[in-house]
Amino acid sequence: MKTISIALKDLQILFKDRGALFQLFILPLLFIMVFTGALGAIGSSGKSEVVTLPTLGVVSLDYGEAAAFLLSKIKEDGSFLVQSLSATDVQSQLDENKVVAVLTIPLGFTEGIQQSTPVTLVIAPGKNSDPQIVEAARLVIESIAADMTLESQIISSLKQMGDMQATAPEQYQVFSTERVLAQARSQFVTAQARPLINIVQTVPQQAEQQAVTPDLSLSAVPGFTVLFVFLAGQTTARSIYEEKKIGSFRRLVAAPINKAQLLLGKILPNFVIALIQIAVIFAFGAFGLRLLGMTPLPIEKAPVGALLVAILLALCSSAFGILIASIAKTENQIAGLSTLLLWGMGLLGGSLVPLFILERFIGPLAMIVPHYWANKALDDLLIRGLGLADIWLSLVMLGVFTLIFFAIGLWRFDFER
Amino acid sequence: MPAILEVDNLVKKYGDFEAVKGISFSVEEGEVFGLLGPNGAGKTQTISMLTGVIPPTSGTARIGGYDIHKDQSQVKKITGLVPQDLALYPTLSARTNLNFFGRIYGLHGKQLKERVDDVLRVVSLTDRADGVVDKFSGGMKRRVNIAAGLVHQPRLLFLDEPTVGVDPQSRNHIFESVQRLNRERGMSVVYTSHYMEEVETLCNRAAIVDSGRIIALDTIKNLIALLGGGVVYVGVKQVDDAILAELSALPAVKEAILVPQPPAPPAPEGKEHTTEVKPVTATPVIKIVAKNNQQAVVNVLGYLNEHDIVITSLEIMQPNLESVFLHLTGKKLRE
Repeated sequence: MKTISIALKDLQILFKDRGALFQLFILPLLFIMVFTGALGAIGSSGKSEVVTLPTLGVVSLDYGEAAAFLLSKIKEDGSFLVQSLSATDVQSQLDENKVVAVLTIPLGFTEGIQQSTPVTLVIAPGKNSDPQIVEAARLVIESIAADMTLESQIISSLKQMGDMQATAPEQYQVFSTERVLAQARSQFVTAQARPLINIVQTVPQQAEQQAVTPDLSLSAVPGFTVLFVFLAGQTTARSIYEEKKIGSFRRLVAAPINKAQLLLGKILPNFVIALIQIAVIFAFGAFGLRLLGMTPLPIEKAPVGALLVAILLALCSSAFGILIASIAKTENQIAGLSTLLLWGMGLLGGSLVPLFILERFIGPLAMIVPHYWANKALDDLLIRGLGLADIWLSLVMLGVFTLIFFAIGLWRFDFER
Repeated sequence: MPAILEVDNLVKKYGDFEAVKGISFSVEEGEVFGLLGPNGAGKTQTISMLTGVIPPTSGTARIGGYDIHKDQSQVKKITGLVPQDLALYPTLSARTNLNFFGRIYGLHGKQLKERVDDVLRVVSLTDRADGVVDKFSGGMKRRVNIAAGLVHQPRLLFLDEPTVGVDPQSRNHIFESVQRLNRERGMSVVYTSHYMEEVETLCNRAAIVDSGRIIALDTIKNLIALLGGGVVYVGVKQVDDAILAELSALPAVKEAILVPQPPAPPAPEGKEHTTEVKPVTATPVIKIVAKNNQQAVVNVLGYLNEHDIVITSLEIMQPNLESVFLHLTGKKLRE
C-alpha cells in the first residue's frame, strides 16, 4: 500500500510536468512520423503507383552458350528483372530485399548441357521474400530448363543417329521416320523423368517465417518505441534525485517503510509510464500512420507477444533507471549519462538504424545492449511475422539485462545521501 | 518523568572523519530539548541516526523504550522528523503532501482526513490547504514542512533547524505551534538550531554541540549561569600576568584572562619568511568574566585608566547562550 502511495504520488507529479509528458509521449510520435516517412521513401515497396517487377539476382559462374541462353530466356519471359551479381554480393542483396532470390549457374553448366550430363541450378530465396514470388521464379526457371533439357537431349540423340548413319549409309532404312519419332518421344519421356538440369531451392535462414513484403518504414515504430521507453528510465533517476535534493527522500527513509518498498514505489511509475508509452506508440503505429497514409504497424499479427515484450521492456527500462540513479550523483550526471548511454545504446541496438542494416556494419556488437534484443523481438514479431516461440532468446536476454541492471542499481544505491 | 529518548555514546564516522564523536544525552517525556551548535557541529547527523536515516558507526539509543537498532520500525512509528530542507513536493497542494505522508505512516480514510485537518489547524494553514506548495511563502512552506512531520502524531518530534530562511512572523507562528504541541498534547521535541534565542525561548534544557561533541548540557538557566553576570572583552595596548591577576581580583569580576591571539598568517606561496616577520597587528584582548556586568565594567575601566593602560576596544556581552558558546569554544555560533 505504501509502495502504491509512492507510485501514485510520483505519477501525480509527472502528469503535472508538461515537459516530461511531451518527451514521453509526443516526441516519440514525431520521430516516428519523420523516420517512417523518410525510410518509407527509401525502402517502401507497397505504395508506388508504378508496377515494379521483382528482381531476380543471377550469379553466373559459367560464361558459356547455355548459361547465356538461360539468362536470355529468363529475361525474355518478362516476369522478373534480372540483375547480375557477384558471389560476394548475394547475402547483402538478399538481406536488403533488393532481390527476391538469387539463381546460381554453376561452372560447367554449358559443358554439361552440351554433353547431356546433369547440372544443377541453385535458387536461394531471401529470408524476407514472398514465397509466391520465389515460387514463380522457380517455375519460370524450371520451364526454361525443361525446354533446354529436351532440346539438348533431342539434338544429342539426332546427332547420335546422324553419326550412326554416316558410318553405315547402307543401313539407311533403319533410320525411318517412325524410328526417329519413336526416339524423340523416348527422349521427351526421359527428359521429364530425369531432367538434365536439376533445380535446387535452398531454405532461407529463417525458413519458418511467414511471407512479408519487407518495408523499412515499419522498423521505425519498434525502434523508437524501444529508444523512448529506455529514455523514460531516466524519469526514475530524476525522480529519485529530486527527492534527495528537496530532502523528501530523507523523510521517507525516516518513515516506517522498508528500502525495498521505497525503491519499488519509485520504479513502479516508470513501469506504468513505459507501458502507457508503448500502448500510445503502438496505437499510433497501427492507426495514426494509416491515417497519415504511411505503412501501419501490423500489431494485430502478434498482440500477445508484443504485450510480453512490452512488459519486459518496461521492466528493463525501470531497472535501468535505478542503475542511473545509483551511479549519477548530480542532475548533470543524470542528464549526461542518460544521453550518452541511452542514445548510444539506442544507436548500437538498432533503434535508429534498422537491425538488418546495422548488423552488416557492427556484427554481433549490437547484442551487448538490451535495445538490440527488444528491437529484435519486436521486429521478429511484427515485421517478420514470427511467433512467440521464435523470440524466446530475445525475451530471456531482456530478462537478464533487467536483473543485471537491478542488481547493480541496488548494490550501488545510496540511501544515506 | 521517564525518558522518551536515551542516547548512549553515538558515533558516526565517514572514513577517517568523525562527524559525531560519542554523543550521550536523554530527553524526558514532554520535554522540549535543544541541540545548539554551529553548522557542521553534528546536530543533523545525530538526528539522522536517531530517526533511522543513517546507521550509527557505534553507540545506541532508545526511543520510547525501543532500541534504534533492534526495533527500528517501532522507533519510526513513534518519531517524527521535520528536516532542515523543505522536504515537500512543490507541485502538489499542501493537503496532497500531507495525505501522502500520512499514508506512508499507515493512515487512511477518515482517520487520515481528520489528522490532516488537525495538523493544518496546528500550523494555521487550514484556509490554504488546497494551495500548491510552490506558490507559498517561505514561512508557509516551513509550516507545511512541520505539519508533514506531525500528521501521524509522533510521541517524539525531531525539528532540525525548522526556521531557516523564514521571516519573523512565520518564525513566531512556528514557535507557537511547537509550544502548543508540547503544552496541549505533551509531545516531546528535540529542537536543533544555531539560533541561541530560539533554544532559549523554546527549550527546557539544551546541549551545546561543537565539532561532534556535547560541550555542555544543562537547563538553559544553568548554562547561562556558567557565565555568571556576563562577559566583557577589553582591547588594550599592553598587558601582562600581573595586570590580569589584579583585574581578576577586582570586585564584580570573576575571572580575567587573555584571549589567545590568532596565529600569524602564512607567508604567500613561493615566498619564504624573512627575518623581518611583521608582528600581529591586533592589540591584546582581555576577557573579563563578570559576576555583575555593569559593576565589572566600571571597575575594570577604572583600573585601566588608573594604570594608564590604553583601551583600544570594548565589547560588553550580556549572559546568553551565544556568549556561553563563545565562552566555551572561542567561536561564534554563526561563524
